[in-house]
Amino acid sequence: MSIIRFAIDFVKYVLTGGIRYYVWLGILGILIVPWAYGAYQQLIAHGMIVAGFTDQISWAIYEGNFIFLVGVAAAAVTVVFPYYVYKYKPLKDVVLIGEMLAITAVIMVIIFIVFHMGRPDRAWHMIPVIGIFNWPNSMLAWDVLVIYGYLFLNFVCGFYNMHQTYTGRPINEMFYKTFIYIAIMWAPSIHIVTAFLLNTMPARPMWFHSIMPIKFLSTAFAAGPALIIATLLIIRKRTDLKIPDEAINFLSQVMLWCLGIAIILTFSEVVTELYPSTEHADQLKYALFGLHGMTKIVPWLWASWIIMICSFLLLLIPGIRKNYNILPVICVVMFIGIWIEKGIALVIPGMVPSPIGEIAEYSPTWIEIFITIGNWAIGLAIFTFLVKGAIGVMTGEVRHPNFDNRNASQGGH
Amino acid sequence: MSEEKKESERQSLPSEDDKTRRDFLQDMGAAALLGAAALMTGSDEAQAKTTWAEWFQKNYRLMTDEEKKEAIVRVIEMEKGKFMAENMDKGYPNSTGESYGIQVGGNAYNLAGVTLEGQHYYEAESVPRKDAFYFPIQCQQCEKPPCVKVCPVRATYRDPDGIVVIDYNWCIGCRMCMAACPYWARRFNWGDPNLPKEEMNPKTHYLGNRPRMRGMVEKCTFCVQRTRHGRYPACVEVCPAGVRKFGNLLDPESEIRKILERKRVFRLKADLNTFPKFFYFID
Amino acid sequence: MFLNRNIIGIITTFLIIAALHGCGDTKSVPKAKEAEAAAPVTDCFESREGYTSVQRVENVVPEYGYPNVKCSQATTGVLWWGDPFYDTVPMGDMPIVDDETRGDYAIAEAVVKPRESKLMYFNMEPTKHCAFCHNGKMVPFPKDKKPRLLAAHQDIVGNSLQLMHGRAAFWCLDCHNATNRNRLIDHKGNDISFNQPQKLCGKCHGEVYIDWRLGIHGKRIGSWTKEGKKRWWVCTECHNPHTVQILRYNPIKPEPPPILPKGTKNGDHEITKGKETPLAGH
Repeated sequence: MSIIRFAIDFVKYVLTGGIRYYVWLGILGILIVPWAYGAYQQLIAHGMIVAGFTDQISWAIYEGNFIFLVGVAAAAVTVVFPYYVYKYKPLKDVVLIGEMLAITAVIMVIIFIVFHMGRPDRAWHMIPVIGIFNWPNSMLAWDVLVIYGYLFLNFVCGFYNMHQTYTGRPINEMFYKTFIYIAIMWAPSIHIVTAFLLNTMPARPMWFHSIMPIKFLSTAFAAGPALIIATLLIIRKRTDLKIPDEAINFLSQVMLWCLGIAIILTFSEVVTELYPSTEHADQLKYALFGLHGMTKIVPWLWASWIIMICSFLLLLIPGIRKNYNILPVICVVMFIGIWIEKGIALVIPGMVPSPIGEIAEYSPTWIEIFITIGNWAIGLAIFTFLVKGAIGVMTGEVRHPNFDNRNASQGGH
Repeated sequence: MSEEKKESERQSLPSEDDKTRRDFLQDMGAAALLGAAALMTGSDEAQAKTTWAEWFQKNYRLMTDEEKKEAIVRVIEMEKGKFMAENMDKGYPNSTGESYGIQVGGNAYNLAGVTLEGQHYYEAESVPRKDAFYFPIQCQQCEKPPCVKVCPVRATYRDPDGIVVIDYNWCIGCRMCMAACPYWARRFNWGDPNLPKEEMNPKTHYLGNRPRMRGMVEKCTFCVQRTRHGRYPACVEVCPAGVRKFGNLLDPESEIRKILERKRVFRLKADLNTFPKFFYFID
Repeated sequence: MFLNRNIIGIITTFLIIAALHGCGDTKSVPKAKEAEAAAPVTDCFESREGYTSVQRVENVVPEYGYPNVKCSQATTGVLWWGDPFYDTVPMGDMPIVDDETRGDYAIAEAVVKPRESKLMYFNMEPTKHCAFCHNGKMVPFPKDKKPRLLAAHQDIVGNSLQLMHGRAAFWCLDCHNATNRNRLIDHKGNDISFNQPQKLCGKCHGEVYIDWRLGIHGKRIGSWTKEGKKRWWVCTECHNPHTVQILRYNPIKPEPPPILPKGTKNGDHEITKGKETPLAGH
């Protein structure tokens, strides 16, 4: 019964807020209007023909967002791991934010995949027993497995923790820690498997690189903490939850060095491709310099690299890293930079030239853009709700009427 | 070779007419001396001198004409009695502005090889065009199809007769197969089918030419609606030059097996180990 | 179905023109009128434009409502055979090759389209054909095979002293029967029908002949199975024996390229690395 009560109180708390809160939700709500139009056009009225896909470039912006968001989801491990394995105390309140981020990102992944699929109505074909789940052969089957598994693990960990805090009951360490450790191991797997989705295809030489999984992890562990830092700084400013400086400084360190590794890996990839400069390098050349006068991706790729390198250099300076007015700006810009790298400059060049040497260009239609923005709005709304609820629970504003005070002192984690 | 002999060689090294080398040698010190001594193979002084000079000679490309001549003489000297070095070309190449190459068809500066990047959308007055190499690509009906492996719902599979088919009603439209196919043989139905009814073939097959609904992938089925009733695939029949052949790979007397037996055959991207059942031959 | 007067008129014109142009090296059959682009092309060719003409006949296979052929709007080439055996005759005695190349697939029922009906000069006179003129009197029989300049048939062989076949090793009468001009001739002096040019060509082109016999050279349609009935293309349906030395296969207009990817205006970007004339095509 306490679960239903918790759910009601949680939702109630989440839906009440100040004027700023409603303005924020209102903005997100407005973005969902064109989304609904696009979703109707694509899913119901006309099919994917309303999007900018071609047979040459059959994966594009939805797939790119999916890949990026898997990384964001996996990045929750950057707070969970140090707190539970290294017992790094300043991250105490951040862990729950990380888990909420993971839940949000995974839900967004699923939404993007629905739009990526030609026939989302047939998604049940993947359910074992009533459908056919081509596991272990299909890498996509693995990906579905790890992504849904990760959603489940984070949901259980996050909400079990919140529920126990809400009722004041002690946490069952056996149960909780088991899930936490599984989740820690599970987190990198979702991004590794997503990388395998791409880099196990010799048909696409630009993706056919064994460094892709580790590069995915390093960019993810830069983009994820960036989002968490930005969120934490807003939380510090707007709520009663106390986030210690150490937590933010720790995360900016993680972000900095993961970004550094990502730059090295990108550099190695470029050297490996461009030094011998075989025909297999054509896809990277298309992204870097354009091919046969087709250059749509070029500014995006360079923008993302410049952003990544500049962010890295700036973050190296402790004065900037610890300046909480500049840091969120760098975080947001870097987040966008990595989004460009994953969302635009990775997936599309893998399709150009096509395996038989055809060169085509992709430009998204307005419907695709509406849907993409709308999906992000939905994701941000979910994140807002979850984080607000989690803060309410952590600060004690959401509390069971028969709160058990005996454990209050040791409540939380 | 005895220790004593080695010692005597070492002493005899810096000869009178080799001033500069001797100075250099002294500067180099004992370690280099030992290394150099190890190179000594001949027993008499002249040979040792030659070996020594050879060891210190410059890169051939950077030698003056005089030095090249000396180097050639040295090689003849060193190999005397062991190989037939005296027949070596005593001249040395001058830059005459020529460029040597062996050309077997095509031009080294033209795209004469099989590079897939080329013209897909040409509109010629007439074909065949001189110098053009036509390279039709379609589904290769692989023995180890990457597209089948990646399908999360097994909507695509190899039928017992080897044709890779798609259950159009089971495909979820994830397009993994389109990305995985190294031959770009799969197409997606982005919208609803809109072919006029009169132009449709009334004879259809569930896995073949029936109208495909939107949101799923389709591909060449070797005209399963024809071939399973003994007819040649449409692409084989349409080719005005009769270039395409089709048959039963398991029957040694079939057209396709006769080609494999009698012609030079290759498969596209054989390095990917997909084992296509689509062969190219040059007659 | 009602055919309006225009269509009947055009078809009749085509039939007349086709009858006149059916043979030899005449340039080509006139293309379908642009104005009638929407209507199915009725006047088509199979392999050699102007030389393997075929008329579309509706409802040849009533079960499916198939016409005998469907043809390209752009090139009038046949794209699809509703009935692969329409208007064919048995090929006759199949040349037996008794060696390791058993050619089981050649044992099945074989049909061809007769060539004689496509030959312009052959059909100028309906009963005696070529012999109408080449009867030894109107045109005397030549005494030997020595090459000489021809006064007639220059539309087929431009310069008879430089026959574009065999690199000057032989001449007209090595293939054409000197005394019976309705027939071809083999090495032993036996007659060969114009409908069976393979027997003539096989005299010299043995390797290709064996390949053809096995079904790996040239075109066959119908059934691919061992027992299945096949329509064979004979040599002269693809090759023009009088110009084969310079044109192995007479160039034809290609079908239009596939539709460009969305957002692409032309295929200019595909022209490779500074070459004026694009080379490779797929």
